[in-house]
Amino acid sequence: MTPGSMSAACAALLRRDLTLAWRRRGDIAMPVLYALIVATLFPFALGPEPTLLARIAGGVVFVTVLLAVLLSLDHLFRADIEDGSMEQLMLAPQPLALLVGMKILAHWITSSLPLIVVAPLLAGMLKLPTAATPVLVIALVLATPLLSLLGAVLVALTAGSRRSGMLLALMLLPLCVPVVIFAAGAVAAAQEGLPWIAPIAWLGAGLVMALVLAPLACAAALRIAMDT
Amino acid sequence: MANWVPLWLHRLGSPPVFYRFAGAVRPWALGLALVLGAVALYGGLFVAPADYQQGDAYRIIFLHVPSAWMSLFIYGAMTVAAFVGLVWRIKIAEVVAMESAPVGAAFTFITLVTGSLWGKPMWGTWWTWDARLTSELVLLFIYLGVIGLYHSFEDRRQGARAASFLVLVGAVNVPIVHFSVNWWNTLHQGSTVRLLGPSHIEASMLWPLLTMMAATKLYYIASLFARVRADLIASEGGKGWVRELLAGREGSGSDSA
Repeated sequence: MTPGSMSAACAALLRRDLTLAWRRRGDIAMPVLYALIVATLFPFALGPEPTLLARIAGGVVFVTVLLAVLLSLDHLFRADIEDGSMEQLMLAPQPLALLVGMKILAHWITSSLPLIVVAPLLAGMLKLPTAATPVLVIALVLATPLLSLLGAVLVALTAGSRRSGMLLALMLLPLCVPVVIFAAGAVAAAQEGLPWIAPIAWLGAGLVMALVLAPLACAAALRIAMDT
Repeated sequence: MANWVPLWLHRLGSPPVFYRFAGAVRPWALGLALVLGAVALYGGLFVAPADYQQGDAYRIIFLHVPSAWMSLFIYGAMTVAAFVGLVWRIKIAEVVAMESAPVGAAFTFITLVTGSLWGKPMWGTWWTWDARLTSELVLLFIYLGVIGLYHSFEDRRQGARAASFLVLVGAVNVPIVHFSVNWWNTLHQGSTVRLLGPSHIEASMLWPLLTMMAATKLYYIASLFARVRADLIASEGGKGWVRELLAGREGSGSDSA
């Protein structure tokens, strides 16, 4: 990799973001702890009946993961905007969409990957049949990048505003409805022994489209938000 | 020559011209909307026969269906205005897009309320997690998100641009709402929903429905223009044309006093 080339810039940005995340390891554990606590609340609220828990387990895991991702999204660009590195990224000769895509990738590695690792544990706590667990993991692997990409666009839009926490939820959650429907649908189908490949294929199609479009949209949104 | 149309549209992009145009159109649109709405309500509530299956309860469609159409139509209009505003940076287009959102949210809310009022006698429940209902609810949330994002910025134009972008992203929901009845019908029984199709409807029921549709469109124009005028006065407060306007109003007010 020659210094200054596109791949070198991407690698450098990815390494920087991962290093920054590693220096604050406690923050990586936060979404996981949050998901664990939320998932634990359901048996308390609904009663510990195993058949009931098994029926709702897939949906609960997805909603929990969605909320955890939502919480972690808020500071995706915040630090970079506050210390001025976002302006540097915008002025860089490499396309902003590509660099933003790297930031989203780093965010997915640090916040969603741990969630995917603990998801089978959450599902087990909620008595999801073990046969459906691989489908749950596949659906999460496809759904969480989709959520990160979609969320990044909306976070970029709120980057220039004063209050964004609740507003982000109001904007993101309606757009996430199809993702939740397909992801939970796949797990529910697997649980009942039905073919589950169709919803997974829909998720994959959505992910491919988001991979192409979301970084471009995110870059455009950041330019709108930063142009004052 | 025929190029006065683009010229006139071009001039309409200027806030003072649009302000005067909206002020001239608004009373007519509002008056016509009220007249047509009254005619449609009379036709729907008194002239149209009772439905053979649903009795008189079906009459709520004369409010429910036009509102549902408007909830999608306004989102479409808002998407076009937002796109124009983002691409060509026309201030009027941004204002039109942002001021459409509360009107659209109101129509969506009316759709949901009348739908649940209708659902209680027909389906025996206020709310069911049907694809059409949930996608309409999601549409309401998107409208609220747009309004919230617009108002969360210090700078109006920056907020308008960010919220216009959200409008474009949220536009994916419009085909979902529109086609959900077809998709839903393939999964569940659709006997009650099929009554909504205008093609399966008696002519004496159809004309009040279409009249009400025209009335809601005109009402949207009247309401939008009133909002746009207020927004222009607020955001252009320091400009010369607003000062002249207010000075003229004060002058005429002191003359008559």
